[in-house]
Amino acid sequence: MKDFMLLFVGADYQEMGLSPEQMQERMGKWFAWNTKMREQGIIANGDALHTGGKRITGPDRTVTDGPFVESKELIGGYYIVKAEDYDGALKIAQDFPDYDLGHAVEIREVLVFDQSWKMIKW
Amino acid sequence: MVDHLFRHQFGKMVSMLTRMYGLTHLETIEDAVQDTFIKAIKLWPTSMPDNPEGWLMTASKNRIIDLLRSVHSESKRKENYSQAPFAKDISDVFLETEIEDNQLRMIFTACHPSLHPKEQISFALKTISGFSTAEIASALLTKEESIKKRLQRARQSIKVNDFAFEIPQGPELPTRLDRVLEVLYVIFNEGFQSNKKNILIRKDLCGEALRLCKLILKKESIRNPKVYALFALFCFHSSRLDSKINLDQEIISIRLQDRSKWHMPLVFLGNDAMNKAVENEASFSSYHFEAAIASEHLRATSFEQTNWSIILEWYTKLYALQPNDTTLLNMVIVNIQLKEMNEALRLLDSIEVEKLASRQYLYHATKAEYFCKVQNIPQAIIQIDIALETVQNQSERNFLLKKKSSYK
Repeated sequence: MKDFMLLFVGADYQEMGLSPEQMQERMGKWFAWNTKMREQGIIANGDALHTGGKRITGPDRTVTDGPFVESKELIGGYYIVKAEDYDGALKIAQDFPDYDLGHAVEIREVLVFDQSWKMIKW
Repeated sequence: MVDHLFRHQFGKMVSMLTRMYGLTHLETIEDAVQDTFIKAIKLWPTSMPDNPEGWLMTASKNRIIDLLRSVHSESKRKENYSQAPFAKDISDVFLETEIEDNQLRMIFTACHPSLHPKEQISFALKTISGFSTAEIASALLTKEESIKKRLQRARQSIKVNDFAFEIPQGPELPTRLDRVLEVLYVIFNEGFQSNKKNILIRKDLCGEALRLCKLILKKESIRNPKVYALFALFCFHSSRLDSKINLDQEIISIRLQDRSKWHMPLVFLGNDAMNKAVENEASFSSYHFEAAIASEHLRATSFEQTNWSIILEWYTKLYALQPNDTTLLNMVIVNIQLKEMNEALRLLDSIEVEKLASRQYLYHATKAEYFCKVQNIPQAIIQIDIALETVQNQSERNFLLKKKSSYK
């Protein structure tokens, strides 16, 4: 089993003018997904992220206030899940609730230190 | 999670927070509650709080303080809102009776006489019932843009006229309460009568009217026989909601409705309310008579068993109290059922068709029914064609088309 990071990309709910009823429906879907993964023991970690943020860049360590990308490219949160391979991770990501809002999931395999060490061993 | 938890929680929270921070901050309060729900969607799936309602309340209170602070720091004013004199103690606001009182205060605010009737309904659905502007637009078959404007105007009037966030008392109460009941009646009818909408929205509107009416009934100091009668009427009508429309969203006439599908618990609930409503005959309102008519229909085990003479009596009393052409039309239909054809024609002729405006098709459809019953089929077809020309609603059109084909 490998760890995969699922990054949730899309506009903030705030900007969509969802009604309380729609928000509850949305949350129901998140609950269902989360519960399913927990029951299968495949979720390791995960959090939602605040919209704003800070960025520090360059040798002068210049600090700017976020958001730094177009609103539809904001990273709203992430999960770290366990899967055999990318196919397995893609399968898990099928239940992501917000595809209908135009949101996307970016999947990245977590590089494990142990393996990278083996790679450079000679 | 409980059905409509967020929607109902929205109304509760907005009214409680309005009690704490005042009607002038209503817009900020609504934004804060909205933000809090979004926070809940993000946090709850991974860590559910032990007391979700308490969490929502605390989080939205903090959010309001944030929002108000940021507004005021922009204008270079510093004030600690959590200690501001108008910020009522949160523990007081949490008492169950206080929660209900605050929702009642909001209902009376929504139905304030300074607001236009259309604004009252939109505002009530938004602020008390937690519908979004898109949902209100779809429920009232209006453009979302006009709903937004109505809400803006309502909020503006509330600010300009400096409404008190209170339940009216003394001599002012009865007229203010009458207006509240009228608004609930309209909200209910939007759900019950118009067949253009999908069944979910229809049920939500009826459900909201029922819930708010019940809230008024729980308050001993303001309830009166009219409120009981209106509640009974809502219960009686609601019990038929599922059997009124088939799976294809077509209207089923009461003659053909599956009476075993009528929801009996609601009928009994309505009956209890009706018993309380009729304790004093002097105070009978139009709601009393409408509820009595609805209950007569429910009492009949089949369409043929319907006691049309009693129904006619109720309609006559309703007409005496509140003359209008819709009631006259209903009396025509009842007279046709009673085979009192001369009386049916006399009533038909007394109706001024132009005054019926968008409901003129009902007049012509009824007249068609009359001609059909007196075996004048050519005239019946002429009348139903006029009705078909003016009817707007698709499922009502289909209903008329079916009727027409039965005439041949």
